[in-house]
Amino acid sequence: MSIAGPRASAPSLAPASGRTAQGGFLPALPATLLVALIVGLPMMLLFRYSLNQYDRYDLMREALTLDNYLAIFRDSFFRNVLLRTIVVATISTGAALVLGFPVAYFLARAPAHWKSFLIILVVFPLLVGNLVRAAGWVAVMGNRGFVNQLLLGVGVIDEPLEILYTPTAVVIGIIAVVLPFMTLSLQSVLEQVDPSLEEAAGNLGARPFTAFRRVVLPLAMPGVIAGTVLVFILCMNAYATPVLLGGPRFHVMAPQVYEQITGQSNWPFGGALAFILMATTLVLTVASTQLMQKRYARRALWKA
Amino acid sequence: MPHVLPLTRRALGLGAGALAASTALGLGRARAQAATCVIGTWGGDYQNLLDANIVKPLLEPKGVSVQWDVAPQNPRKNKLIAERRLPQGTLDIACLSDVDMYDISLSGALDTLDESKVPNLKNAVPALRHPYAVPHIYSGMVLVYNPAHAQPKAYADLWDEKYRGKVGLVDLLYTQILILATVAAGGTPSDFEPGKKKLIELKKLGVRVLPTNEAMAQALQSGEVWITPMWRARCVQWQNAGIPITNVAPAEGAIPILFEFGVPKNAPNKDGAYAFLNASLEPAAQIGFAQKMGYAPTVANAQLPPELTQKLSFNAAEQAKLVKTDYDYVAKEYQNLKQWWDREFLA
Repeated sequence: MSIAGPRASAPSLAPASGRTAQGGFLPALPATLLVALIVGLPMMLLFRYSLNQYDRYDLMREALTLDNYLAIFRDSFFRNVLLRTIVVATISTGAALVLGFPVAYFLARAPAHWKSFLIILVVFPLLVGNLVRAAGWVAVMGNRGFVNQLLLGVGVIDEPLEILYTPTAVVIGIIAVVLPFMTLSLQSVLEQVDPSLEEAAGNLGARPFTAFRRVVLPLAMPGVIAGTVLVFILCMNAYATPVLLGGPRFHVMAPQVYEQITGQSNWPFGGALAFILMATTLVLTVASTQLMQKRYARRALWKA
Repeated sequence: MPHVLPLTRRALGLGAGALAASTALGLGRARAQAATCVIGTWGGDYQNLLDANIVKPLLEPKGVSVQWDVAPQNPRKNKLIAERRLPQGTLDIACLSDVDMYDISLSGALDTLDESKVPNLKNAVPALRHPYAVPHIYSGMVLVYNPAHAQPKAYADLWDEKYRGKVGLVDLLYTQILILATVAAGGTPSDFEPGKKKLIELKKLGVRVLPTNEAMAQALQSGEVWITPMWRARCVQWQNAGIPITNVAPAEGAIPILFEFGVPKNAPNKDGAYAFLNASLEPAAQIGFAQKMGYAPTVANAQLPPELTQKLSFNAAEQAKLVKTDYDYVAKEYQNLKQWWDREFLA
């Protein structure tokens, strides 16, 4: 007996038929051209610059060299910056997934008349800019901030905790920024997972966690993948939060790109850093997506 | 061997164009007005005070209007360099600190000033004058401290064990802090190596490095930091905001900071630029800045009220001891200094 109703199947990741794809492409053409113009051209230009040589008072000298790329990988400082960026992005993405999934599930199962209001609540932090939110975190995490005052007040600690200008502060700040993106990505897919599937799993003796692990999670994988990819990219490119909450000692890639291009006027090196950041993000994103897809495809096949 | 990019052609046409395009596009309409002068400056209070003390009372009555090109100093420096070889740039006036202005002057982007067009320049303090810029306001790096906890007299006191963990530095001021440490180590501002060693010692004493002046103000207010080297002008602003601090000029002599105006060689409206330069040295404009921003006048004929003079100016003895910045050395070491600061000191 099939237990899968019409809503049970997860959204297909398979491409549309050729005819439909062609029909859909024309309306997408203006946006595609616009993006190609305002993103593609500057990127090509920056890539060309990254092959030039730095000159202090001419900005750069024309060349075709990979020296800037090699210098980054030879320099332990920048290797550490890249590694730190990946670690922070991975932790933040994982935490956002763990924290966002229950919220998304709750939203998906919430009564229809409450849903719009709850979604607005989730989206609400996005109405406040990153800078303003970071300023708020400074007030919360500072030595005389809310958290320390509370802990000092109740006698848990004698000296204020160092939270601000630490990696912990950065991770907390980034999670707060990306959580709505993860939640909404998951919620849109969980909406399509029929609750009767979980009930059926329960009727067949599955505990709630087993039903979640074997029924809900596999069906929510497209949302997990979409949310993880989106959030990981945002985390890898985080700028304002690491600068404001990490302090001068905490270096990640995006602020380093800015520092090289505007602070040091070294456009070739800054361009190379930007492309290494982009390539690393792309490779990690594609690899993790493939891994997740394969893992759940194999599991689904095995269960079938 | 690679040749220097002719930025007027390919590279600038594409790349520097990307940097300048937004500004240039925005300025198209402004250029239609004959006497518009474009001033590249910081935003916020500084821009407001330029407007209130120079533009509104002194320039607009002469028919010169102003358009602001607001950015931090580094993007402004990049713009000056990127536009350097263009027949016409987008800025008429560039506001920079003395260290940055000297650096840009080395690139050849700035006019040597025609002093006959700036009659007020004759009143400027000679020690503050440079051939490529007009001195606007100045201050010096004093020791700002909470008198309830500390009584420093010299830069070297920052290394006193009794202030362990209570000395703060602002990250943005790394160049001046390197000079400070060098002077405290008995060195000269032409070689920062003794200062670098001295700063590593300060790191071991638990020095706190904060990202911004605002963060430092909060740390002084909360008692996290007892002493910090900072501009006397900024100290006056913080005192006015109710922070319980005072300041002292260090025994070694204070490190000066000077804010200047330069005119790019390819400025489109040089008449407007020179009118602005001359107006900026009017005593009324200088007194306005002193009262509102705490920086000392750069002209001898701007008479401040005695209490203001005492609060923000440097007396004759202090002026005589001001540390002379070696601009050439700082410009030459520009990248190395930042690298050392990030990798050795902050690491």
